[in-house]
Amino acid sequence: MNIIQKYIETMENRDYEGLAELFDCDGTLVDHCPKGTLQPEYHVYGKEAINMFFRNKFTFGKFSISEPEIIDERHAKFVANYSGYMVMAIATIRYTNEEGLIQKLSVRPK
Amino acid sequence: MGTYAITGGSGGIGGQTVKLLKEAGHEVINIDLKGGDISANLASCEGRREAIEELHQRCPDGLDGLICNAGVSGAVSNLQLIVSLNYFGTIELAKGSFELLRKKKGCCVVTSSNTISQGAGRMDLVDLLNNSGNEQMILNLISKWDSTNLSVGNSIYVATKYALARWVRRISSSWAARGVRVNAVAPGNVQTPMTAALQGSARDALNALPIPARYGQEALMVPEEIAGAIVFLTSKYAAGINGNILFVDGGTDALLNSEKVY
Repeated sequence: MNIIQKYIETMENRDYEGLAELFDCDGTLVDHCPKGTLQPEYHVYGKEAINMFFRNKFTFGKFSISEPEIIDERHAKFVANYSGYMVMAIATIRYTNEEGLIQKLSVRPK
Repeated sequence: MGTYAITGGSGGIGGQTVKLLKEAGHEVINIDLKGGDISANLASCEGRREAIEELHQRCPDGLDGLICNAGVSGAVSNLQLIVSLNYFGTIELAKGSFELLRKKKGCCVVTSSNTISQGAGRMDLVDLLNNSGNEQMILNLISKWDSTNLSVGNSIYVATKYALARWVRRISSSWAARGVRVNAVAPGNVQTPMTAALQGSARDALNALPIPARYGQEALMVPEEIAGAIVFLTSKYAAGINGNILFVDGGTDALLNSEKVY
């Protein structure tokens, strides 16, 4: 299973710990989609912050994904749900380190 | 050394604040339902009036600081108590003590909550609290709400804390112009007997408000940390701080709301 598949799997399973482990120590996750829902964008810096941030989002049902589709080794699209507001989104793994861990991942409206 | 009054100073954050102030050599008057230097029920109009009168009798030369810390969580089944104590118990005591604070160019610190930034409060109630200020009318409205639903209690709790923060912002300019600074602290989840007893989904929800400074520990803030910030805001080192809501939550608000810088 490659990194984009693991990313989708952890997001579908609401596995915040597994998600964080996909990232480099200083890895960042930037999600621009919430802006279109009148919510603040996600700019989460560091694997510990990714763990804590998504623990909060998943536990309180503020974020989830559905209908995922892997496009290639670095891209996947899905329907992202931000507190009930759905957005067709595309995730891009922009950079990875030598160990294959994500240094930067961005999500934008598709 | 100065003279300070505090509400809810018998334990928790208030108790630690009393301890720190006394260690610094200050005189501290604790106003609490039980066990205080002044015993008063700040959830009632009469209790507030009695507390204010006694404070004036005890401190004819004025106060260096008033710390409004008394409050209850959203878990209490008495929804009206949340409103009467948390909001009206705070602002009425602060307003009734203003002349004492003015005499010594003192300051006021109010305890809000970091939940105000998490979107769980009823903003219609916040507006009613800040804009109408009609306690009896608001209590009448709330009496019809479902007191058995924990999320209702929590939404009222957050609303009272949000309204307190907004009251601080609104009042701060005129008070400062007359020599009295007013600020608020917004604590994160703090160790209390109540939080220690939480189990199951309630515990899961608590842990899903992560405290970055406690990463990996499943631990909460401790009262001393909040008290330290309160004492700082009352000190000369905070002389330039007015109308601020100081989040003392180990970074929870920054984690969940990184894009809000103002």
